[in-house]
Amino acid sequence: MPRALWSGSLSFGLVNVPVVMVPAVRDLDLHFRQLHAKDGAPIDVQRWCSKEDVEVGWDEIDRAFELDDGGQVIVTDEELEAIEPRRTRTIEIESFVDLSEVDPIYFDHPYYLLPASGDDGSARAYRLLTDVMARTERAALGQFVMRAKEYLAIVRSHDGALMLSTMLFADEVRDGNDVENAAQKSHKPSAQQLKAAAAVIEELSGKWEPGEWKDRYRRRLRDVVARKRKGQTIKAPKPREAVPEMPDLMAALEQTLADMREGKSDKRREKQEA
Amino acid sequence: MARSIWNGTITFGLIAVPIRVHSATESHTIHFHQVHAKDGARIKQKRICSKERKEVPYEEVAMGYEVRGGEFVMLEKDEIDAAAGDRSRTIALEQFVERTEVDPVFYDRVYYLGAGDDGQDAYRLLHDALERSGRAGIGRWVFHNREYLVAVRPLNKFLVLHTMRFADELVSADKLEIPSPSRRPSDRELEMAEQLVSSLQKAFRPSAFKDSYRDRVRDLIARKAKGEEIELPAPEKAEAPGDLAAALEASLGKRRS
Repeated sequence: MPRALWSGSLSFGLVNVPVVMVPAVRDLDLHFRQLHAKDGAPIDVQRWCSKEDVEVGWDEIDRAFELDDGGQVIVTDEELEAIEPRRTRTIEIESFVDLSEVDPIYFDHPYYLLPASGDDGSARAYRLLTDVMARTERAALGQFVMRAKEYLAIVRSHDGALMLSTMLFADEVRDGNDVENAAQKSHKPSAQQLKAAAAVIEELSGKWEPGEWKDRYRRRLRDVVARKRKGQTIKAPKPREAVPEMPDLMAALEQTLADMREGKSDKRREKQEA
Repeated sequence: MARSIWNGTITFGLIAVPIRVHSATESHTIHFHQVHAKDGARIKQKRICSKERKEVPYEEVAMGYEVRGGEFVMLEKDEIDAAAGDRSRTIALEQFVERTEVDPVFYDRVYYLGAGDDGQDAYRLLHDALERSGRAGIGRWVFHNREYLVAVRPLNKFLVLHTMRFADELVSADKLEIPSPSRRPSDRELEMAEQLVSSLQKAFRPSAFKDSYRDRVRDLIARKAKGEEIELPAPEKAEAPGDLAAALEASLGKRRS
């Protein structure tokens, strides 16, 4: 069982479900440590005072906020804790929304909520909330505080468990007005182009099978480490050949469809290879 | 114009869509510096060789992968970069899937795409074709020396790109130990819970939620800048309801009154 990152309660109306939060994502990345190339010795990171040029211990470090005028304000852990809201140990459900209404752009990091205790009351309240959200395809929205940061969270039913995803606040999603050349009226495709593009998409369509898509980077990195361990030298792969330029959209669409009919490019199989 | 963070080409079949990638998100978290308590001077980090006890310049840093306690395979930074994969600056959409099939849990980071030079026609074509078909394109993207699985989908007038989590990175719900209740929730409880859910139902308005903690941190900084003292409150504790039906009933009653 993964380690609990947060414990508290999920409440809606007068129903409180004591819960613990565990990660829904596991870190499978390879982690490296910095070494001194010369002697292979691990590098330690030390904190030094920029004024005195001496090493500084953790207990001698404060947190400072830099003001616009160049001055700074020191803020202690206790002071930050003091301004955490009173509901700090509660995820208060403020509303329920149709899950389909929440664009995935707002979803940030996923966790599971699990009943905090084995008592029957908690287990039943948990089960009830999971069942009712699954049945109604609704999700709960609420805010909570974890590690000195306030989060907006969406809680939903996921394979019989409650999944909580932290969400971006509205002002953390950029409006994109400064992105040049999004879809423009003046570049509307012809009916013929759209039909051909739809046919290409249809031809390349399949069921979403997440397990078929492997992390090739992770595998190659493991391979690099293994080869290096055996004393081999590692060279960067040569870039793949560039896609042939076909500036005429309609010609590219037609050629793609013609290739597909001849079975020349079964692109769906490509993801399997290294 | 916002600076793009990557330029390249999205392809599907032989169709090339020149694109620029822009951030779609921005963090407003308030950041602090570490300072030396004694004199308020900024803390700087030094890399020290654990053998020589001397500072190590960046050029002399290599990366070590620990194969067993204290034993490292040493790699140069560019040897690690070699694992990134194909750097041809293209994202080939290899498959298209129903957008509703992709649970949001797979989406990690998100970017806006803009059309690259002379790419407006192709961009609009991909955008419109995806919008009509209800699909998203799946491909691979090499960015910052790492290969990502990505999904490209339309959102309003944009194409957006999500980096994705791999299936094996997600913890499956059936690996969790969820205690089973002695009996399933009764029909009456489910009915009341549904009523309660309905009574709290709202349209999703993201701007209705504010990071008030961020505001309080700002306020704290302002007060401290004026030399004020800060007080400490006590936290509260919630308990599981003994009688679920009664709690549901009371909640509904509370909302009706």
